[in-house]
Amino acid sequence: MSEAQLHTHVIRAGSVKENDEQLAGNTLLTDNLWRGAGLALVIILWQIGVNVGWINPFLMGSPVGIAGEAWRLIQSGQLLNDTIATVYATVVGFLAGSILGSICGLLLWFSRSVARIIDPFMVALNGLPKIALAPMIIIWFGSGMFSKIMLAFVATFVVALLSAYQGTHQIDRNLINLMRSLGASRREVFTKVVAPATLPWIISAFRLNIGFALIAEIGGEFISSDRGLGRMIFVAGNLFNLNVVWVGVIMLMIVAIVLYVIVSQVEKRLLPWEKGHK
Amino acid sequence: MNASMAASVTQAAPRGAQGVQRHSVITLDGIKKTFSSPGADAIEVIEDISLDIKQEEFVSIVGPSGCGKSTMFNIIASLLEPSDGSITLRGSDPKCGARVGYMLQRDLLFPWRTIIDNVCLGLEIQGVRKARRYEMARDQLTRYGLADFADQYPNTLSGGMRQRVALIRTLITDPDLILLDEPFSALDYQTRLVLEEEIVSILKEHHKTVVLITHDIGEAIAMSDRVAVMTQRPTSVKKIYDVGLSRELGSCLKARSDARYQGFFDSIWDDLDIQIAGGES
Ligand SMILES: Nc1ncnc2c1ncn2[C@@H]1O[C@H](COP(=O)(O)OP(=O)(O)O)[C@@H](O)[C@H]1O
Ligand SMILES: [Mg+2]
Repeated sequence: MSEAQLHTHVIRAGSVKENDEQLAGNTLLTDNLWRGAGLALVIILWQIGVNVGWINPFLMGSPVGIAGEAWRLIQSGQLLNDTIATVYATVVGFLAGSILGSICGLLLWFSRSVARIIDPFMVALNGLPKIALAPMIIIWFGSGMFSKIMLAFVATFVVALLSAYQGTHQIDRNLINLMRSLGASRREVFTKVVAPATLPWIISAFRLNIGFALIAEIGGEFISSDRGLGRMIFVAGNLFNLNVVWVGVIMLMIVAIVLYVIVSQVEKRLLPWEKGHK
Repeated sequence: MNASMAASVTQAAPRGAQGVQRHSVITLDGIKKTFSSPGADAIEVIEDISLDIKQEEFVSIVGPSGCGKSTMFNIIASLLEPSDGSITLRGSDPKCGARVGYMLQRDLLFPWRTIIDNVCLGLEIQGVRKARRYEMARDQLTRYGLADFADQYPNTLSGGMRQRVALIRTLITDPDLILLDEPFSALDYQTRLVLEEEIVSILKEHHKTVVLITHDIGEAIAMSDRVAVMTQRPTSVKKIYDVGLSRELGSCLKARSDARYQGFFDSIWDDLDIQIAGGES
């Protein structure tokens, strides 16, 4: 942007963005072409390696074998059922944990003393790998889906709580002073400043929590479960059926990506003012 | 102590901008402030401030940075309790009724609110109905040429425009006293000159009483009826100058080129007793 433009006082949001978007569109297209080409190359080399005998398909699986197993699992409906089970437990636990955690973290703003008292417990819980709780949670809640929901919940709750609480501490003191000088009550300060100012922190916790929820849910399925992608991977792994393991892993990647995209879309909706920044 | 006594004498018989006897909007009487926190030494920030500001006066406060100017503003806006002394705002206690509008160096626009919603903030807190406050805000935005930006977010505006929006937000609740804490210091020089002029004329037009904190001596002289010079921390009023150039000449720019401008500048500079380390000017 030139000096002259700056001196007109207005950064013409519209025009600048159009250019940016066009540019971004072009690079995105070429980037995606390169990505596709790279991936295809790896798959082709892998298959050639297997055919020629350089790669042991028993230990590594093979693209053709993976495609075959995938087709079989899709047709039998097992892949769909396992995916639904995993996605369901992950998403329910993730949403409950992240939303409740964020709300609790926000509410801690009202009471410094409560926050101070529970702080060390939260830090300790945050440092604990939540998967260590899996055996206990499975004993308490059984090997069905509910224990997986609880695992995802536990894994996401503390992260969301701490992130929201830290967010409330980063708020510019002057914004709160301004509200007070206008005669705002504490509740108004909370709804008009604290909550919206903390929203970016909450969203970033949601982003992190997708990964944490998946780790906890899959870990729980490894330990004890009757369905789900984790169980599918675990059982196939024990049988050295590497092609099925690959199908499960690829499916999990797809699930993670879809969840990320959803959170990003929600972010765009909830933080419209941050568009210009990123 | 001597210095503040001298200041009290000067202001004992305020001449007022045009020699008219107006009533006081705010009176600070023997304000002291010491910050004390457990486990740390108490910091005495304000030794003694007594100041009387009349209706429609424009008073600037200049003083070394860190001397306690913002602390004084926070006390006037009743965001902080003074350790001692009393504040009378329009004859009443600032906490009941009389209102103070506050504008800082950083515009403090809420990034998550559109321009019009930012302008409406104070009205919203006062409980003005939505249709009514939008109408008022649109009127004001139109008046200052910002109507086209009503539905944009603050990050699409330049610094100067954001400060204009912040000013409108301050004015729209019609406060009795307006406090400006270094509102121009983040802006480039040209924008600053333009805004100085604009703000003085807007505030005069609205018959507002204003206290401006600035570290720019020239700005204080160009805009004010009176300039109060503060001492180092713990601070008190060292001297008060009756300037009134912009009121007399009708413009801040004219005030800057007036013959008396340099005289005021030199005396205030001497009062501030700024130590310059190295060769920097
Ligand atoms: N809440 C506080 N607790 C302790 N010291 C403070 C507090 N607020 C301000 N101070 C101190 O008071 C002094 C004056 O600050 P301030 O009023 O912001 O100065 P300025 O004149 O630059 O606006 C500074 O030295 C600062 O460290
Ligand atoms: Mg200050």
